[in-house]
Amino acid sequence: MKMKIFLVLLAAGALCAVQPAQAHHAFAAEYDVTKPVTLTGIVTKMEWANPHGWIYMDTKEPDGKVKHWMIETAGPSQLVRHGLKKADFTDGMSAVVKGYQGTNDPSLANGRTLVMKDGRSFYIGSVGGPNDGAER
Amino acid sequence: MPSIVPTLTWLEGLGWTTAIRESPWGYPLIETSHVASIVAFAGIVIMMDLRLVGLAFTHAPLALIQRRLFPWQMAGLVPSMATGVLLCCVDPLRYYRSMFFWIKLLLMALAGVNALAFHLKTYQRADRWDEDPQAAATARLAGAVSLVLWSATIVTGRLIPYNWFN
Repeated sequence: MKMKIFLVLLAAGALCAVQPAQAHHAFAAEYDVTKPVTLTGIVTKMEWANPHGWIYMDTKEPDGKVKHWMIETAGPSQLVRHGLKKADFTDGMSAVVKGYQGTNDPSLANGRTLVMKDGRSFYIGSVGGPNDGAER
Repeated sequence: MPSIVPTLTWLEGLGWTTAIRESPWGYPLIETSHVASIVAFAGIVIMMDLRLVGLAFTHAPLALIQRRLFPWQMAGLVPSMATGVLLCCVDPLRYYRSMFFWIKLLLMALAGVNALAFHLKTYQRADRWDEDPQAAATARLAGAVSLVLWSATIVTGRLIPYNWFN
């Protein structure tokens, strides 16, 4: 009996091990991997917060209209690990963000790469995104 | 009725809640402690419930199991509640707007009422079936209800990051 329980637990453990690591919440639950976006614009606000940060960004549409984006980033500990700090963000700075658009909300995006005005580039994605080479 | 939102906005803007919300290590530490103490609490509650429904430790008197497990349940409950309240203070508006958060609170309240009713009524007459492998029907029901409610509480807690209803 004990042996049986042990074997079942072992099998369950093995199954867990082959599952890919999940993020805080799954990328696919909210974002569309077939809709990559490159956003060039002005960062109006950065929420340096747990469990995920948010970059608020204004971009210009082809017709000249301003579009307000909400871009999800990794949390502070991951951003710090990738070389960023809170003070790197100033309201009104220009930046380029690459990411993926929201499945249901077209003004929502999951950020992957942030390129600052001075050319420095940072990975800002959460764990669990697509394997697109953004994470180095 | 006055809105609670201004109070929550004030709470969110305080120095110490902002510091934890923005901290690279403080928040993950609290969040991890929350989950770890839930694991301890729920794991021990499940063992007690399995004895009640008659699936585990049926050879041991219920009172013995209760006496041994109860202090450890509380040792898990207190830090899980403390870290939970702390997490709410750090990001109050987010939880206020989360449907899953309110469902989780409701499930916890129901689980609490179930546990209280068991301890204050059913368990008071436990000496009659204390050593029986099969507890009284009301006790078995309390155990089953507890298993369902606490499991559902944990599942809804895990679902709070998903904003399906917002």
